[in-house]
Amino acid sequence: MSFLLGTSLLAIITALACALPGVFVVLRRNSMLVEGIAHAVLPGIVVGYAFTLDLDSPWLIVGAALAGLLVVLCNEWLIRTGLLIGDAPQGLVFPALFAAGVIMITLDFNHVHLHTHVVLIGDLNLAAFQQLTVNGVSIGPQYLYVMLAVLVVNVAFIALFYPRLKLTTFDNEFATVLGMRTGLLNTAFMFLVSVTVVAAFHAAGALLVISLLVAPGATAHLISRRLSVLLVLTAVFAIVGALAGFWIAYALNAATSAVMAVFYGFMFVAVAVADTLATRVRRHRRTEATSARRHRPTHGKTDSAHSP
Amino acid sequence: MDLIEFFGNHTFRMVFFGTMLIGIVAGALGSFAYLRKQSLISDVVAHSALPGALMAFLIAVTVFEANGRNMLGLIVGAVATGTLSALFANAISARTKIPIDTAMAISLTVFFGAGMILLRIIANGVFPGKGGIDDYLFGNASVITIADLTTSAAVGALALALMLVFWKEFTLRTFDPTLSTMLGFRARIIDTLMFTTIVIAIVIGVKAVGVVLMIAFVVTPPAAARQWTSTLPGMVALSGVFGGIGSGVGAYLSIVTGNIPTGPVIVLTLFAIFLVSLLASPRRSVITTALRRARAREDLRRELLNEMADR
Repeated sequence: MSFLLGTSLLAIITALACALPGVFVVLRRNSMLVEGIAHAVLPGIVVGYAFTLDLDSPWLIVGAALAGLLVVLCNEWLIRTGLLIGDAPQGLVFPALFAAGVIMITLDFNHVHLHTHVVLIGDLNLAAFQQLTVNGVSIGPQYLYVMLAVLVVNVAFIALFYPRLKLTTFDNEFATVLGMRTGLLNTAFMFLVSVTVVAAFHAAGALLVISLLVAPGATAHLISRRLSVLLVLTAVFAIVGALAGFWIAYALNAATSAVMAVFYGFMFVAVAVADTLATRVRRHRRTEATSARRHRPTHGKTDSAHSP
Repeated sequence: MDLIEFFGNHTFRMVFFGTMLIGIVAGALGSFAYLRKQSLISDVVAHSALPGALMAFLIAVTVFEANGRNMLGLIVGAVATGTLSALFANAISARTKIPIDTAMAISLTVFFGAGMILLRIIANGVFPGKGGIDDYLFGNASVITIADLTTSAAVGALALALMLVFWKEFTLRTFDPTLSTMLGFRARIIDTLMFTTIVIAIVIGVKAVGVVLMIAFVVTPPAAARQWTSTLPGMVALSGVFGGIGSGVGAYLSIVTGNIPTGPVIVLTLFAIFLVSLLASPRRSVITTALRRARAREDLRRELLNEMADR
């Protein structure tokens, strides 16, 4: 497989693996919590890297994901103490964990040579550098298969728990009344999100992985009213954004994840504006139609009866 | 290293006073963000300050052929993009069905992504004084100059002065927005003013602390101060003091231990202050609450036992 094909495939698979659980992150209003997770996994990654010396190692991914889960659990605990208000609990824990990670990196913790730039925005091309060969034939970057595994796990989780996820997302209290273990499901889901964040870290970095998670789902949320449609549209937007982001970045010689984040932003705004305009046109037509109907019996003609 | 040696060194003095200033201003003004339950918007503003600071650098270097790290230019650029990002997030949540937290995440990543692209452009091009421009990410307190310090102090003092002048309006708007509007105060003007002061508090930290960790300076001190006091003046003052002490101690520790960047050490110091406050402040804290509950339970038990014995 050629390097370009392998890398653009990696971009697509990474975008999909992030975007699908991202739909539920958007709907459950956890976006900024996931932003916190993305920062908090840094010390986990540094420690994990010191032990495994391999950013793609499954042990590193699961271990670092636990650090991300720590933010979720601490957030819940801080809210439960009742001593803090607003969204402050979400903003208290992750900077401390991130700072600890940065200090570990600068202290050259166990000779971990991670460049802060890579930590922040990742490097897709670097991630795709190590090729996997079977019988002497290159079958794409090794990392592609790591992300593919994450994608499969995510899809399996969503498929398996689809009714429960749907119910807890839209009516958590009802789900609790039904006797569903909503807390457990939420923790499991957040752990999965955390795993995804760590896995995508290599390609997208701590600060922009949140864009891959949230932006396609938010864009699709603008124009869909059914969860199934939302999931399909999200996948479409994720693929379009990944391809466009990858090729624009390639042409501009810029970081893929940064270009993808900006492109996703433009896509979101374009869809939002188009949707607003379409709604306005639809509403205009509807009022025209109703006013036409209302005036027909008296005037006979509709054209003169339009209100401005 | 003893204190005389520490304060005898020009760079150390700059680091110490520079970060302390940031801590005091951000801590005091962060109280309002905390009380209005809008702590996380400061994360968006801080990240989005990056493209503005870099654009200010590019314009200063290419158009005016001036020093690209000029503090005033940095502040103007960072305030511009930081404010834009917050407006963008608010516009998304007001005009579409997207909730505010997702709107903030989108706005943050778009602006930060643009910043990272600009950073790459600067790294690839030929610009005087571009070395170490990466420092805007995690900050580098050791490059603070006297000119930076005086500019930051002046702008920070302006923000604090605005807060004092509009104290009554800010308080009313924070605790009873409806009454404030009924009394004839323009909500939009007060919100803009309050928000501007918070943005200023954030961007003066970009150079020394960096855009990524600045949120801790705005969120942590008020959350700690709230556990010790129940009045607004007390909270603003204490939050400023916590911010100042945390920054001073953190800066000292980072210099004494050597090679550790200042920003992250300060963040950990602030977090330690917060943890102590949350767990053990005498008035409201986890331990006090637990003790009070245990005592109440004990009292109730004794009362019930007495009642049974009386019968």
